[in-house]
Order: sequence, then C-alpha cells, then structure tokens
Amino acid sequence: MKKLTSLLPLIFATSLLLAQSTDTTRHPTAVDSLFNSMNADNPRQNVAVFSSSRLILSQTTETVKKNNLNFLVLHHFGDFAGSAGGGKTFFGLDDIADVYIGFEYGLTDNLNIDIGRSTIPLTGGLAQLELKYAILHQTSDGSSPLAITVLGETGAQLYNSFPTFGDRIVYFGEAIFARKFSHDFSLQIAPSIVQDNLPIPNAPGNEETFFSLTASTQIKVSKIMSIVVDYAHQFSSYRSAHGYSDPVGLGFQVVTGGHVFTINVTNAKAVSEINYLSNTQSDFSQGQFRLGFTISRMFDFNHKEHYAPKR
Amino acid sequence: MKYCFIILLSLLNIGRVGDDLYTCQNARITIFSSALIEDIKAVSSTGASVFNATTGELGFSVAINSFLFEKSFMQQHFNSDYMESDKYPRAIFRGKILEHIDVSKDGTYTVNAEGTLTVHNVTKPRTIQGTLTVKNGIITMASEFLVKCADHHIDIPQILFYHIAESIKVSVNATFTPYKKQ
Repeated sequence: MKKLTSLLPLIFATSLLLAQSTDTTRHPTAVDSLFNSMNADNPRQNVAVFSSSRLILSQTTETVKKNNLNFLVLHHFGDFAGSAGGGKTFFGLDDIADVYIGFEYGLTDNLNIDIGRSTIPLTGGLAQLELKYAILHQTSDGSSPLAITVLGETGAQLYNSFPTFGDRIVYFGEAIFARKFSHDFSLQIAPSIVQDNLPIPNAPGNEETFFSLTASTQIKVSKIMSIVVDYAHQFSSYRSAHGYSDPVGLGFQVVTGGHVFTINVTNAKAVSEINYLSNTQSDFSQGQFRLGFTISRMFDFNHKEHYAPKR
Repeated sequence: MKYCFIILLSLLNIGRVGDDLYTCQNARITIFSSALIEDIKAVSSTGASVFNATTGELGFSVAINSFLFEKSFMQQHFNSDYMESDKYPRAIFRGKILEHIDVSKDGTYTVNAEGTLTVHNVTKPRTIQGTLTVKNGIITMASEFLVKCADHHIDIPQILFYHIAESIKVSVNATFTPYKKQ
C-alpha cells in the first residue's frame, strides 16, 4: 500500500503536464511554434514604382500586365500666352499643339508592345511602334533596389515630302532606372538617344543623333492622387546654340481603378519623345506653356478562371 | 499486479500530453466587396492553418499578395495602396475554439473561435462563428465573417466609395490533415 501511495504523485505530475499544455496564455505551445514556422516565409514581391506607365512626357518603368490593353489619349493645347496664345485662342484651349492616341498591350507581364500616332500639325503626323521590356523589378525585401526598363521606338513621319522614304524614319532608345524611395516618393532617371534620319527640324548644322537625360518624379499626396514632375535635357550643341528649351512638365495625377487621369502644364508642344526632344522651342518665360491632359483606360482580357482557379 | 496497473495508467496519462495537431496548407480564402457600382472578388488558395484538437487552439494565416483578382490593376492597387502588403505581408487569426469538440466522432458542429484578427498591422479581438465538420476522420472548417475596412485603418478614397464596400466579406474553407512530427 505504501508503494502504491508513492506512485500517486506520478499520476498527479502527468496530469499537471496535461493541464499545462492546455494553458495558452503563458507558454508558447506546439501550435505557436508550428504556426510560426508555417508563416516564416513571407513572399517577396515586386514593388510598383509608379501608378501608371506614363507620367506627363516620359514613360515609367511600369509595364502593362499580360493580356491587358491600355488605351491612351494625350492632349496638349496651344500656347497659354505669348504671341500665339492669350485671349484670342481662349488661352490655348481653342488651339491644338498635339494629340496622341495609342495602345499599350502586355505580351507578357514584362514585355509590352505599344502603337500610337500623334498629329503634331507643323511637322506632320508621327506613327510609332514601340517595344518596352522590364529587365528588373524593385523588390519588397530589398534584394533589388532598382527597377530597370528598356524601350525602343520606331517612328514614321507620314505626311509632307521627304527626299527618300528612309528620311521619314526616326528611332528612339531609352533605359529607365527607377526607385520607390518611400510610400510617397518615386524617382526615375532615364538616359535616351534619338536618331532622326533627317534632322528635326531640318536645318543646317542640326544633329541627326543626340543624347538626352530625363528625370521624373511622382509624389503621392493621397492614395489616388499624386503630383508628377518631368524634366528632360538634350545634349545637343545645335539646340543649345539656337535657344531650344528643355521640356518641363508639372502635373496632377488621379488613379481610380482602371482609369488614370493626368492634368498638366508643359512647355513641350509634342507628346512623343521623338518630337519633344528634337524640337521644343517654346519657352516658359514667354508664356509658351500649355495645359495638357492624359486619359488612360485599362482593359483586362484575363478571364475569370485566372483569379478563381478552383471554381 | 496493482503496481503494474498504476504504472500503465500513468503512462497512458503521459501519452495524452502529446497534442492532437492538424494542419492545412491550402485553405481557400475569399474576400468579397459588394458596392453600388461593382462587386469585387478575390481568392487565395494558399491559406495556412494549425488546429489543436485537444486544446481547441486555432491559427489561420494568409499572404496578402496571394489573393488573385479578376483584374490585375485591382490586384496591384489592393497590394500597394490598400493593404500595403510589402510592409504587412500577412493577415492572421490566432485564437481558440471555445467548444470542446470530440474529433473522433463524425458530425457537424457550430463553433465559436475567440481570438485576435490582425489585418494591415491592426489587431482586433474577434469572436468568429463557423462550422467544424468531421467526416470519416477528416476535419473541415468553414466560416464567413465581415471585416470592416475602417477597423483596420484601411482608408478608401471618397471617389471610390461606390466601388469598394465599407465591410469586406471574408469566407474561409479549410480541410485539415493530421500533423506528424518529423
């Protein structure tokens, strides 16, 4: 009987152990450790550096996702003031400097094909074809601090008379380096090259090929609204000697789901990079700036099985 | 003989200390927003869950960027503007089922899980009702509950009030398998 009573604490102790394992508030339990190990891997994700594929003048590192089609209308009005503006054109609103209508389509998440046409009245319309490829994405875990996208464009000036067909063709290449520094602030720097087979404008001494550098930023002021700024400088001795301006744009962007609206003020008449880098002679200080806007609508052709795979 | 019986009883007792753990790696979690202009739905099939049938302890977790939307721009805005999934990658429920369910018996039970729900880095105490079903030894759980955006500091811009609901319906479906220690 004595031995039996000495064994009783053993039963008591094991019962205590059982009681302890049900106590969730004090000690980490088996569920805790297993649950934590299941949640240890937080998936790395790509950071969306900008809210849209275009700011005011320049394109961003963002691409249109696979099977998405982005429809774009970019409109620049006439000079606000100066000799061509003022009250007689209702501060430029009666005048059109350039209208660009285009489509961007995602062949893959990283590769886009874009087509578009601008009707810049003085030099004749420019139809262009573009390929844009996102080489590198900025990632949430910092393993890639930058996003890098390259793009190449070919344009054809369809109207007016040219000595040969080849003279109508222009090329544009750009590498875009961008980073989202904080939730509110993104910045990009983009070196680019323009090759005009016949210089635009066709004047003696004008270069056919020149380099430019573009800096753009997006500053978020709310979830859907941002201030966007664009600036470009052309490294062209002809253009600096003849009083050409650096294209500058300041805009306000609203992103509501599939729509992106931008209202902006810029001195560049043209919408296409090829035209505004080659030929921006309007000067902010002469009142030769204009109101402009961008409207874009995203269409998604991925069907429902894509998001509800097990239905 | 008496001693043998008592030692055996103690050993049986020790055996019960090992918890009865079940896990699920592919819980299907759906979020649904019904607003005036549009309905928006997103699905994740990679929710993770742990259930201790002995103590009733329960944990659910889902990666925010695993939700698939009908439109990819919705998915992008959901992650970058609303949930900020680069900073707060997971939504988590940790708690305990209040009722004691004998998972060795088949049946369907209505259960209440009391605990905390963490979404967008804001933790709220919640008691969530659901059903626990045991059929041929397989445990499944299903639940549907509302998450109010404002409760978790998820601001919806005024211009999108007609597109995104103030409360998001969340439904969870999980099938568990017994967990074996490696």
